[in-house]
Amino acid sequence: MKISLNWLKNYIDLSGIPIDEIESALTMVGLEVENVENQEKMFNNFVIGYVKEKNKHPKADKLTVCIVSTGDEEHTVVCGAPNVDAGQKIVLALPGAIVPQNGIVISKAKIRGVESNGMICSEAELGIGNDHSGILVLDSSLKEGMTLSEAMQLNDVIFEIGITPNRPDALSHIGVARDLAALYNRKMNLPETKQSHSEKNVSEFASVEVEDAINCPRYSAKVVLNVEIKDSPLWLQQRIKSIGLRPINNVVDVTNFILYELGQPLHAFDLDRLSGKKIVVKKAGAVSDFVTLDSKQRKLTPETLLICDAKNPVAIAGVMGGENSEVTTATQNVLIESAYFNPSSVRKTSKTLGLSTDSSYRFERGCNPHITPLAAERAAQLIAEMSGGEIVEGLIDVYPAKILPKEISLRKQQVERILGYPIPDKKIRNIFIGLGFEILSEDKDCMFISVPPFRPDIEREIDLIEEIARINGYDNIPTISRIGITLQEKIDETSFTSELKEILSGLGFNEMYSTTLQGEKSANLTGNAIKLLNPSSIEMSFLRTSLIPGGIETVKKNLNVKEKNIMLFEIGKVFQKVNEKIESFDDFIEQERLLVLLAGNANEKKWYASERNFDFFDLKGYVFALFKKKNLDNFIPYSYNNVGKNLFDFCFEQKYENRVIGYGGRISKEVLKGYDIDKDVYCYELIIDEFKKLSGNPQKFKELLRYPKIQRDFAFVFDKKIEFTEIESFIRKNSSGLLKELSLFDVFESESLGSDKRSLAFSLAYYDYERTLTEEEVEKEFYNLIEKIKIEYKAVLRGV
Amino acid sequence: MRNRINNLTSEFENDILTVSNLKEIEAIRIKYLSRNGSIPALFEELKNVSKEEKPVIGKELNILKKLAEEKFKNKKEELESAATTAKEWIDLTLPARDKIIGTKHVITQTMDEIKNIFKGLGFSVFEGPELDSDYYNFEALNFPADHPARDMQDTFFINNDFLLRTHTSPVQIRVMSKHKPPVRAIMPGKVFRNEVVNARSHCQFHQVEGLYVDEGVTFAELKGTLVAFAKQFYGSDLKYRFRPSFFPFTEPSAEMDITCYICKGKGCRICKQSGWLEILGCGMVDPNVFKYVNYDPEKVTGYAFGMGIERVALLRYDMKDIRLFFDGDVRFLKQF
Repeated sequence: MKISLNWLKNYIDLSGIPIDEIESALTMVGLEVENVENQEKMFNNFVIGYVKEKNKHPKADKLTVCIVSTGDEEHTVVCGAPNVDAGQKIVLALPGAIVPQNGIVISKAKIRGVESNGMICSEAELGIGNDHSGILVLDSSLKEGMTLSEAMQLNDVIFEIGITPNRPDALSHIGVARDLAALYNRKMNLPETKQSHSEKNVSEFASVEVEDAINCPRYSAKVVLNVEIKDSPLWLQQRIKSIGLRPINNVVDVTNFILYELGQPLHAFDLDRLSGKKIVVKKAGAVSDFVTLDSKQRKLTPETLLICDAKNPVAIAGVMGGENSEVTTATQNVLIESAYFNPSSVRKTSKTLGLSTDSSYRFERGCNPHITPLAAERAAQLIAEMSGGEIVEGLIDVYPAKILPKEISLRKQQVERILGYPIPDKKIRNIFIGLGFEILSEDKDCMFISVPPFRPDIEREIDLIEEIARINGYDNIPTISRIGITLQEKIDETSFTSELKEILSGLGFNEMYSTTLQGEKSANLTGNAIKLLNPSSIEMSFLRTSLIPGGIETVKKNLNVKEKNIMLFEIGKVFQKVNEKIESFDDFIEQERLLVLLAGNANEKKWYASERNFDFFDLKGYVFALFKKKNLDNFIPYSYNNVGKNLFDFCFEQKYENRVIGYGGRISKEVLKGYDIDKDVYCYELIIDEFKKLSGNPQKFKELLRYPKIQRDFAFVFDKKIEFTEIESFIRKNSSGLLKELSLFDVFESESLGSDKRSLAFSLAYYDYERTLTEEEVEKEFYNLIEKIKIEYKAVLRGV
Repeated sequence: MRNRINNLTSEFENDILTVSNLKEIEAIRIKYLSRNGSIPALFEELKNVSKEEKPVIGKELNILKKLAEEKFKNKKEELESAATTAKEWIDLTLPARDKIIGTKHVITQTMDEIKNIFKGLGFSVFEGPELDSDYYNFEALNFPADHPARDMQDTFFINNDFLLRTHTSPVQIRVMSKHKPPVRAIMPGKVFRNEVVNARSHCQFHQVEGLYVDEGVTFAELKGTLVAFAKQFYGSDLKYRFRPSFFPFTEPSAEMDITCYICKGKGCRICKQSGWLEILGCGMVDPNVFKYVNYDPEKVTGYAFGMGIERVALLRYDMKDIRLFFDGDVRFLKQF
């Protein structure tokens, strides 16, 4: 919200306080200044000039060369505006001036051979109007040489303030002045307004009936007759412009002025367009359509609170007036509405309509129910003043649901208990009085405080303590330098994933974070995805069901930028529907997973190595390393699937007691085609919770081997289709416990072996932790094994 | 005789200095030390020396012999070892064989740093779900239904009751519901806002939440703890300020600013000319929140705080586009 310093000064004397101090004071009481616009600074180097001469430019028909006097000096200025003429008073931007419209710095320049020492400005260039057809010609009475700020009273400072939702009271100049008054201990000057005390005369001209007292606890109204609708006087226009609004006419401008002065939203009806000269406040019921004053057709719900006349709706309560009753140039008599509407009713309406206005913004945060008569009276007086109208005596004030001031007790020792330092009672009293609170009574331990009606946010003792802290200054709260340590057990629920990240980055992987929200294709590729009710885009409308599709998308992006070696991992949550309708936490699963992804080159072409693509065994190797690190390498069985499942061309899976721990493989060509990827992509996904459950066993030291190993190798030609693991387990089964290590050191296929054959070469290591083995016992076992393999697989021994 | 010994000594020393290969050193051996060399020749002549002089001259001759033998040996070894090395010459300037080291995401790294500081201050670390209920995300945090405070956070809804959490604060409720005070914990995690994705905002980002509830916790302790954190994280010479703000679940609420470390408080593009950077929101836990978790606000008090991680990382690494964090671009990931 914009706050004008000149406007603010009407209500509080801020003399002696520099502007930057006011700026920081506002921020430090909780009214955060987001931007400051200092017009004097902005219009530095803009002065009033007198065009003494206008001559033709020697080289350009459309340009003129003007001699501009600024009192003491004369400046030659080249001007392109069609309306410039000798004898005019104009705004001259001198070298160094920064044009508000575009930020261009004016400097001396030669324009087609003629030196120009400034620029004659248009309204648009100065940012004070929209006219850019020619230069701004000023009143001839202005004296040349004056600064623009002085001449046009452009000497305001505009603070752009971010008001938090708890502070509706600060959404006006009076509200902001009140905080400063409390802070600086200065007096507030409220605008003087005569108040009527009866409905005596006004009831002859209009009447108000409130049918829904819950949503409209108070409705005040005032009538002004015989107004002449025209432009507002300059001072009012300037106020309206200073807060960033556009002046419209003397009635609308007054309602906006009061809104920004007192914080009370008003609405002016053309009284003659109100059927029966009557206002009825009621719910929309069967009425379903209404045209607001911005000429838009609005769909209403039966709950929408409406302002109606004797026949039809004329406004949506607290949100926007209707086209059918708005003030026009033809308006003669006006009815000013100054009401208090229920915040949540206005909020619902505003949400349903998708329409937020200055009025609804304030009503939904909570206005001051006690100020409606004053605001109506003040508006009537200003309108009458400005339009030559005639105020009808008396005020309509329907107040069916009285709102009483809240009374709260403040236990003095609570202030220190929360803030951590004592504040003297006297200071506390001053703060509350400055903020417009009333101290009803006080004893040794307690203050009984009445909350002013403009502070809906203050409901409890803690709210009072915040007010004390706020005005006394957060800076004054001590910053203590020692804290106590509690000796209860410390838990770190992230330590396991931290360790996984350590392992994978150590293995050479780059950690990525992809987006949880995905398009339908990716999300449903791996499960039944949960859909957002209100997505911001189609590409981000589902929750991911696995980390794999996001990984595939990432591969595509990296291939697009010619990245060759792609080793990625991600740890993140995925979401699967359990039931179609999500009504409880049992209807979906949120699961943390780890993705390990390989694509592109395992080795690039180098002086020491030739190029090689990642393959299945790279993926398997990394997964083994991870399991080994957690001592699970000999523990979790793997199953392999050469045919592949949905996502994969071929894959492997680890299960324990029927629960899947992890799975991975080569992403199927079919799936990759959908992502326009023509390279192999290998992915592995680990269910972190399952993995974590298994890896909790405490590790024990294993005795080091003190006796020699005996190594034996053999190579056999097997049928190709016999899997390695099958042979491996056969070897283990047919060996004693002396066989400790088995490794495959060669796989060889050739035409000479036969196309359905392959040779596998194994290296076996025999040893015992208790004794030295004899060559004889190993030989015996080894050759026994060879014979068994020959028989079992009809394999041919190639060598020993 | 003595002169001849001296001359031979200097002659030998000159010769051995100029030797540069094994062939030459062999020539030296033949010339001086071999059976027909000049040193044995001098020993031959010793018999012609007078009886009185013999011991002295003999001694000098022996010194020469020893010196010559030693120098010869050293030189020979030196040349031999040079010769072996030369045989194994390799171009040591060839590029190294690539050894890849991976990276943890910059968000992880930043988060870890923050986590470690608070763990050092005695905080535990807890996590909570990303798909949460309206109850945890709003209601129990004192966001009344139909209150404008809900507009502060644009929410992705699954339906009326379930949503993607808009902040890590719901984890406060879960932790307090599960543990009796004292509770001192931080709660990192991913959060979501229904915002347009562009260089400055994203629909997902990360936060770290903090909470301490015990008897006698005050705003002064909140300030002390967060200042200690900020000094460790941002540098010990930083200036800071706490200013009033609003969060439904804390009262009083504050925002903590530190002097902009780009411009040192003078005002720049990053701090929007204010000289200050907002780094976190905080406050004393609202008594209404305690009621939801069955804590007695008359017995305990507490503070809570929360900060965004992406913002911290953007500033620290002078990045201008938040989308880079979630693009998975390997060229970006490898930088950290």
